[in-house]
Amino acid sequence: MSHHLFLLSPSDTPLYSLSHQSTKQGASASSPLGANLPTWSTSPFSGRMSALAGAPNTAMQSAGLGGGAAGGQDRLNALRMVANASLDVLENVVFRDNGMYLKGLDKFNEWTVSAFVTAGNMKFILLHEGKNDDGIRGFFFEVWELYVKTMANPFHSAHTPIRSPVFDHRVRASAKRYL
Amino acid sequence: MASNVKQYKAIGEELWKGRSEKINAELFALTYGALVVQLIQDYEDYDEVNKQLEKMGYNIGTRLIEDFLARSGMGRCSDFREVGEVIAKVGFKTFLNITPSVVHALPPSPTPNRQSNPTPSQPSFTLTLDENPLTEFVELPEDALEGGLWFSNVLCGVIRGALEMVQMQVQAEFVSDVLRGDESSEIRVKLVKYLEEEVPVGDD
Repeated sequence: MSHHLFLLSPSDTPLYSLSHQSTKQGASASSPLGANLPTWSTSPFSGRMSALAGAPNTAMQSAGLGGGAAGGQDRLNALRMVANASLDVLENVVFRDNGMYLKGLDKFNEWTVSAFVTAGNMKFILLHEGKNDDGIRGFFFEVWELYVKTMANPFHSAHTPIRSPVFDHRVRASAKRYL
Repeated sequence: MASNVKQYKAIGEELWKGRSEKINAELFALTYGALVVQLIQDYEDYDEVNKQLEKMGYNIGTRLIEDFLARSGMGRCSDFREVGEVIAKVGFKTFLNITPSVVHALPPSPTPNRQSNPTPSQPSFTLTLDENPLTEFVELPEDALEGGLWFSNVLCGVIRGALEMVQMQVQAEFVSDVLRGDESSEIRVKLVKYLEEEVPVGDD
C-alpha cells in the first residue's frame, strides 16, 4: 500500500512531496501501483503541466505502464493531478468545516485523498489506498510538528520549498511508523 | 585554581538566578534569526554580514561590560587565563545561561632558544559552545554555507567590545560552527595587547 504526501503552501505552491511504500497491511494484489516509485522528489512542478498534457488519463489503470521509469513519472504526475483536483473540494470543505484533519476528502478510482489544513492555510495532502484514519491522523500531526520546526528556521519562508534532509528523514521515519 | 573555577561557576549561577527579567528563548532566537536574514538581504555579501554582526556585537559588548561588572562586582582579572575563565563561567552564564568550556593556549615561558618557538607570543583561549540559544531552529541554506556566514558572529563582537572596555585589545573569531557542519562551535579569543589609559580625544 503506497502513500503520497504533498505539502502545499498557502498560495498552493508545492513545497515538498514524498512517496512512501507501506510495509504494514498487505496491498491488494491487483494494484499496479505496487511497483517501485521514485522515493521522493522535489522536482519543480513547472514541468507538471506539460507532463500532464502528455500523460494518458488512464495511466494508473494500465498495468503496462508500471515498471519503467518513464511510466513511474507519468504515474506520479497523474497522482499530482489528482491531488490538485482535490484542492477544490478541500476549499469547499474548509469553508464549512472548522477541523484541521479532513479525511476521505475525495476519491479517484482506488485512491482516497485526505487532507490536513493548518491555521496558516498550509495544506498537507495525502493520497492513499484503503482506510487508515487513525494512522493517517497521527501521521499528519507529526508532519505538522516537523513543519512547525522547519518554519522556525529564519531562512525559511512560507513559500520556500523544503529541502532540508533532516526534515525529509524525519517525515520518512514518521511515515514508517504510522502508515 | 580549581577552587576559583568552582567559585566562578557559583557566581555565574547566582547571577543568572538573580536576574528578574528573563526573556523567552524562542522569541530571542527568532528575533536574532530575523535580524541575520534581514542583514543578508540588505548586504547580499556574507563577509559583509559577518562584519556587521561583529560590529553590532562590539557595540553591545561595550555596554554589557558595565552591567556585568556592576552586578557581579568582580575585580580585575590577574591574567589572561582568568579572563577566559570568567567570560566562560560567569559572563556567558549570566546572560545566556550557557557555560562554554575553555581551553587555554598560553605561550610557553621565554627560553633562550627563540628560533624553535613557533607558537605566537599572544595568549589565547578557545571557547567551545556545546549549545547555542541563538541557533535554536536554524539550518543554513546552501549559499550561506558557501558564502562563509558565521551565524553567531555577534558573540565575537560582544567579547571584543567588552574586553576593550577593560583595557584589553583582543581578536575574537569563530573557528568552527555546528551550523556549518563542523563538530563543535568554537570561538578563539586572542590577546593583541593591553591598552594603556589614553587621554580622551579633545582634551588638552
